[in-house]
Amino acid sequence: MSEYSIIGKPTPNVDGPAKVTGEGQYTFDMTLPNMLYGKLLRSPYPHAKIISIDTSEAERLPGVKAIITGKDTPGGKWGLWRRFRELADQQALAMDKVRFIGDPLAAVAATTEEIAEEALDLIEVEYEQLPAVFNPLEAIKDDAPMVHDDFPNNINATRHIEWGDVDKGFKEADYVREDRYVLEAAHPCAMEVHNTLASYDKGTGRLTVWTSTGSPYFVQVNLAEALKIREGDVRVIKPHVGGHYGGKNSTMPDAVNAAILSMKTGRPVKIVFNRDEEFTTTEHRTGQHMALKIGLKKDGTIVAFEVKTITNGGAYTGLGATTLYLTGTFITMPYKIPNYRYDGVRAYTNIVWGTSIRGFGAVPGKFCRETQLDRAARDLGIDPLEIRRRNAVEPGYEAPGQYKFESCGIMPCIDKMQERIKTKWPKVGKDEGIGYSAFAYMSGGIFNWIHTPYAFSSAHIKVNIDGTVDLYSQAADVGQGHNTVAAMICAEELGIGIEDIRLHLGDTAHAYTDLGAWGSRETLMNGNAIKDAAAQVKDVLISIARLKLGENIAYDLVAKNKRIYLELRPERGFSYYDIVKDAIKANDGVPLTGTGHYTPHNKGMISPAYGMGIMATKAKVDRETGHVEVQDVLIVHDCGQVINPLGARGQVEGSVHMGLGYGLCEEMPMDQGMLLNPSFVDYKILRQRDMPPIETLEVPTYEPNGPFGAKEAAEATIAPAAPSMANAVFQACGAEFFSNVLKPEKVLNAVKEAEKKAKRTRKSTRKGTRKAK
Amino acid sequence: MAYFKCPVCRKITSTHFDLARHYLGQTDKKHKEWLKTQDLSYARLITMQVTEFGNKGYDALAKVLKKEAPEVEMP
Repeated sequence: MSEYSIIGKPTPNVDGPAKVTGEGQYTFDMTLPNMLYGKLLRSPYPHAKIISIDTSEAERLPGVKAIITGKDTPGGKWGLWRRFRELADQQALAMDKVRFIGDPLAAVAATTEEIAEEALDLIEVEYEQLPAVFNPLEAIKDDAPMVHDDFPNNINATRHIEWGDVDKGFKEADYVREDRYVLEAAHPCAMEVHNTLASYDKGTGRLTVWTSTGSPYFVQVNLAEALKIREGDVRVIKPHVGGHYGGKNSTMPDAVNAAILSMKTGRPVKIVFNRDEEFTTTEHRTGQHMALKIGLKKDGTIVAFEVKTITNGGAYTGLGATTLYLTGTFITMPYKIPNYRYDGVRAYTNIVWGTSIRGFGAVPGKFCRETQLDRAARDLGIDPLEIRRRNAVEPGYEAPGQYKFESCGIMPCIDKMQERIKTKWPKVGKDEGIGYSAFAYMSGGIFNWIHTPYAFSSAHIKVNIDGTVDLYSQAADVGQGHNTVAAMICAEELGIGIEDIRLHLGDTAHAYTDLGAWGSRETLMNGNAIKDAAAQVKDVLISIARLKLGENIAYDLVAKNKRIYLELRPERGFSYYDIVKDAIKANDGVPLTGTGHYTPHNKGMISPAYGMGIMATKAKVDRETGHVEVQDVLIVHDCGQVINPLGARGQVEGSVHMGLGYGLCEEMPMDQGMLLNPSFVDYKILRQRDMPPIETLEVPTYEPNGPFGAKEAAEATIAPAAPSMANAVFQACGAEFFSNVLKPEKVLNAVKEAEKKAKRTRKSTRKGTRKAK
Repeated sequence: MAYFKCPVCRKITSTHFDLARHYLGQTDKKHKEWLKTQDLSYARLITMQVTEFGNKGYDALAKVLKKEAPEVEMP
C-alpha cells in the first residue's frame, strides 16, 4: 500500500490562527443589530409548587422588552431520548413545579444584561415547598417524593445485561471478592459557558440560532419540538466552541428561551449563562453507587463478573439513560469475561441532572473495576500488569449480543508498556508506586435514542473550477480538532492539500445530517462520510484522466500529491487542477459534487470500533499529609491509524488532565440540593503546573470500519487516569480506595487503615509461624 | 416453545424470567399498580435487583408471574 501524503503527518489545527489571534468567532462574541439580552429566573428551592408569578413590576422597568413564564411558552417537551417520548422531559420554563435549585421559571429580554438582571429581582414568585429527595437510594423507595408525577419510585431508566452463566462462573472461581463504591459527580468545566443567540424572522417564520453545542442537529430537532414548529424552519449554526466535554449534548434552556423571546419580540435575543449558572444548572458527570463482584481462577483469569449500580440522575434525563447502559458495557472492556451480569437504575432526584460527560459510561466503572482488579492481583500474588495481560481481549473477541472488537491492539500495548517501563522507571523510591489501568472506548455510538431517520453522518463536497473543494457537513468541531481531521481525510482521498479544502461544518442549513460530537464519533463516522463523498469525485477525475491517457483499462490510476497518474508509471499523468477543469467542462459546466454518508450496520449494540490501551501512573504518597504527588504518566494507546498525531496527542493529554482531576480533586458537594462550590475558586481543577509529564506511545492497528483505518482517540484515556493513580498509591502503601476523589484526608485515612491491616497480617503471620514451629 | 404474556401490556417473552426482566424495566404506573395487586412492591424488587448480587428481584417476580402469566400461543 502506498504511503499516505497527509494522514499520519503532524498537522497544526486549521482553526489555530483564528483562535490564537482572537479573530475566531464564538457565540459569545456575536451581536446582531437591535439585539436584546435575555436572563432566566431560577428556582431557589429544590422542589416546590409554583403558586403564582407576578411580573408586573418587572415589566414596568425601562428597557425591559418581554417577560415570559411557562404559560407563555409553546409547552413542547424535548430531550435526547426521543425514541421513548416519556423520557423527553425538559421544558423551556417550569409550568407547575420546579424540580431542582436553578430550574428556570421565567425569562426576561431587555436592552442590556444589567436591566435584564434587575428585572429578575422584581419578579414576585409564590412557592409552596415540597418534600425533596437527593439520594438515589432514597428516591426509589415507595414513600419518596415524586420528582415527575408519571414516574413512581422515581425510576427514570433501568438496564440489565447478562451473558454466560454467572452463578456457575462464581462457583467455579478459586477467588471471589466483592467491593462497594461511591463515585462523586464532576463538572465538565468548559471554558465557554452555554450561550445562544436566536433570531426569529416573523416574515418567513424561520428561526436562526447560533449556539455553543456539540450537535447542531440535536438543537435543531429539540427546538422544533419545544417550539412546536417544523425542523426545516430552524437553522442552527455552531460557531467555534470553547469546550464541550459532554456537557453540550443536550439542548439547554438558553437556546429555547432565547428563541421564544426572539419570537415574542421580533428582535434577536442572546442569553449567556454566568459561571454560577454553568455550575449549578448545566449537566455534570453523574454521581453513583456501584457494587462489583469478581470471580477469578488462581492464575488470575476472570471467570465471572457482576456489577450493580444506582445513579443519581437528577431532575431530567439528558443522556443519563445512555450513560447507565454504557456503564454496564464499558466496565467489561477490554477484558475477556465469559460470564457477566449488570443491573443499573437511574433515579430522578431533586438536583441538577447528570449526563454524558467525556468518557461517559466508562469513567466511574473503570475506577471501580481497575482498583478491584489490583486487589485481586495482590491477593492472588500476580503482577498487576500480568493479570491484565491474562485477561486482555484479542482481535475478533465478541461479548455476546453486545459488542465485537475488530482491530484490537491491547496485547501489543501491554507488551510495549512492559518494555518501556523497564527503562523509564527502573526503580521506585520509598512511598512511590506504579499503578496500571487498561481501557477501551467507543468510536461513536450505534444506539439511536435521538430516533433520527437520517444517516448517522453525511458530507457533501463541491469541487470548483480552480480545484478548491467546499466541504459541507453538520459535523461539529468542539475543540477536539475535527475541522483539521475532516480536511485531512478529504484532502488525502482526493490527493490534494489541506489548503485546497474550504470547510463549511456545523450548519444545519448547508449540509445533510451528522449527529454531532459525542462518544468520539466524528473521526470514524463523519470521516467515513467525507471519504465516501470525496471518493465519488475522485472516481470521476480518474475516469477523465484515464480517457486522456488512453491507457489499458487494467492500469490503475491514483490521485496523490495534486496529480492523477498511473500508479506504476508516476511520470505519466496530469495535474489535479487540469483534470478538474476538464471534468467540469465535460460535466456541462457543473462543479463536481459528491455526497457521502455513513450509518453502522451489523456492528453490535455499542460501536463499530474501539480505541484502547493501557496507562501507567507513577505516584508518591506523603504519609504525613496524605498528599498524592502524581510524578509521571505513560500511556500506550491503540487508536488505529492516527490521522493527526498532533491532535491525537492533544486529546490524550486533555483526557488525562480531566481524568486525574476526577481522581484527585474534582467533586460537587451539595447540601439539600444546593451545590456548595459553584465557582473556580471553590471547585478545584488541576492547573497546568499540577500536571505530570505525559508520554504517549501509539501502537498502530488498522480498523476496517474507520476511514484509513482510524478509530477513537478523544475519550478513552480519561477513564484510566484515576484508577491508575489510585493503584499507584495502593502499590506504594497498600491504601485502598472505594471512592474516586483522593483528597489528602481520605488518603490519610486509607493509609492508616492499610498500616493497621499490615500490622494484623504480620501478627497473624507470626502466630502462624510459631504454630508451625 | 412456550410463550408468556405480560399481564399488563401483553408483551410476549419465552421465559417467566425474561417477563420479569421486561416488567421491572417498565417505569409506567400501570405496571407498578399491577404489582400492588400481587402484594409486591416495585421499589423492593428493583432495590433487591440492583443492590444485592444475583437476580433476586427478577427471580422473586418470575415466581409470581409463573402463576399469573400462563403459557400462551404465539400470535
